[in-house]
Amino acid sequence: MLPRRVLLPLLAFALLLAVWEAAVVAFGVQQIVLPRPSAIAETMVGTAGPIAFHARHTLVTTLIGFGAAVGLGVLLGFAIGASAVAHDALYPLLVGFNSVPKAAMVPLLVMWFGIGTVPAVLTAFLLAFFPVAVNVALGLATLEAELRDVLRVLGASRWQIFRKVGVPRTLPLFFASLKVAAASAFVGSVIAETVAANAGIGYLMAVAASDFNTRLAFGGLFVLAAMGVLLYGIFAAVERRMTAWAYAE
Amino acid sequence: MAGGGDPAVELAGVGFDYAAGGEPIRALDGISLAVPRGATVAFVGPSGCGKSTLLKLAAGLIMPVRGDVRVNGAAVTRPLSNVGMAFQNPVLLPWRSVLGNLLLPLEILREHGDPRAGDRAQWEGRARTLLATVGLAGAERRQPRELSGGMRQRVSLCRALIHEPQLLLLDEPFAALDAFTREEMWELHQQLRQQREFTGVLVTHDLREAVCLAQTIYVMAANPGRVVHAHPVPLPFPRTVAQTYEPAAVELIATMREQIRRVARGAA
Repeated sequence: MLPRRVLLPLLAFALLLAVWEAAVVAFGVQQIVLPRPSAIAETMVGTAGPIAFHARHTLVTTLIGFGAAVGLGVLLGFAIGASAVAHDALYPLLVGFNSVPKAAMVPLLVMWFGIGTVPAVLTAFLLAFFPVAVNVALGLATLEAELRDVLRVLGASRWQIFRKVGVPRTLPLFFASLKVAAASAFVGSVIAETVAANAGIGYLMAVAASDFNTRLAFGGLFVLAAMGVLLYGIFAAVERRMTAWAYAE
Repeated sequence: MAGGGDPAVELAGVGFDYAAGGEPIRALDGISLAVPRGATVAFVGPSGCGKSTLLKLAAGLIMPVRGDVRVNGAAVTRPLSNVGMAFQNPVLLPWRSVLGNLLLPLEILREHGDPRAGDRAQWEGRARTLLATVGLAGAERRQPRELSGGMRQRVSLCRALIHEPQLLLLDEPFAALDAFTREEMWELHQQLRQQREFTGVLVTHDLREAVCLAQTIYVMAANPGRVVHAHPVPLPFPRTVAQTYEPAAVELIATMREQIRRVARGAA
């Protein structure tokens, strides 16, 4: 028996598909506009090979961009959180850069790196980087003054306070940012793939759309949703395991 | 029991300014007093009279702008390392068990090669003893979130005492507790004082608390923060909560209440 928190959303999703199927049949919607879910499933099974190939490509692209974003995001977040000067100088820049729509960077990236995987990786990186850096910096910068005093009167150095208190209390924010960053990385790689790639689900959907193959486009969408939920689920589970203390209250 | 020998904490003409928009504001001025070794003194007064600032000066967390702060005869030039502090907010680390929180001071001291660090087993024994003293025997493995406010405050007090500091600084430590728990904590404080030699500085808004815990109570005024009255408390140690209802205590509380009311109105 599946747990309730898995079972209920699955049931709701099944109900949605059933309503969708019934509505398309009842209102006689053209298949090219909105295909029936069953027809989409049929197409997905029929094109399982190519879909798997493109899905793997998108997943790898996303994970490379995501991994780089986590690494550099943590580094920058630490730098900003550990030094008041770095915080005052860089935090506003970070917020400013974050408000630039990253999709607008894709043409530039294509100009520099050509059509292919590199712009997709970089777009995934750009979207995933900011949530990580901002959350890590925020966690480190919001240490309670009293706790700092308790440690300082034990002769604790800044580095000790950072290690013993700053890092652990930043972990929940860090893991929460991973969920957001993973989802953002997906958005980034797919955006780049739709306009400037030769492989990936984004590319597959763009090609399908130009062929008016609505079923295949929907199929790509379902695959993306499944991968997104999977990644989110993995990081949510990691988060719960690593920082259970932050959720108990 | 208290008094005799060098004072543990000496303030001589101490003043401190806050910079507020270029113009320095006098937070404290002309504070001169001595806390005898092993005694506990209390500071009471209206909000904004610099009580907490005084505590930070004694701990070396901030440096006086005027005058000198001496602890154990030596001028304070940087944060002391033999101090325990507890605040209204217990600030326990929520990701550590009760024991983990109590071992935090040990970890800090050990990394500095401090001889007080000792070994872990010894500290665990000390933590167990302390927890038993404050009525939390067997709570070592519990998480802070599982504890009530009063229990957390006890753990916070244990953390402030576990490295056997010479100086215990308390900034309204029991203010967030209910009246009953607060009075229990006063008696607990008496008990800990009998077992351990520490000099205490207490900042509080609760005049009965000051009367219960302190040897001398200093009444402060604001703008600039200064000591306007000093009251020795005419009760023997160890004290019970019941003693704070004796005529001498009641009278002292009434006197101080009137004094604080007057300084709060601006006529010291």
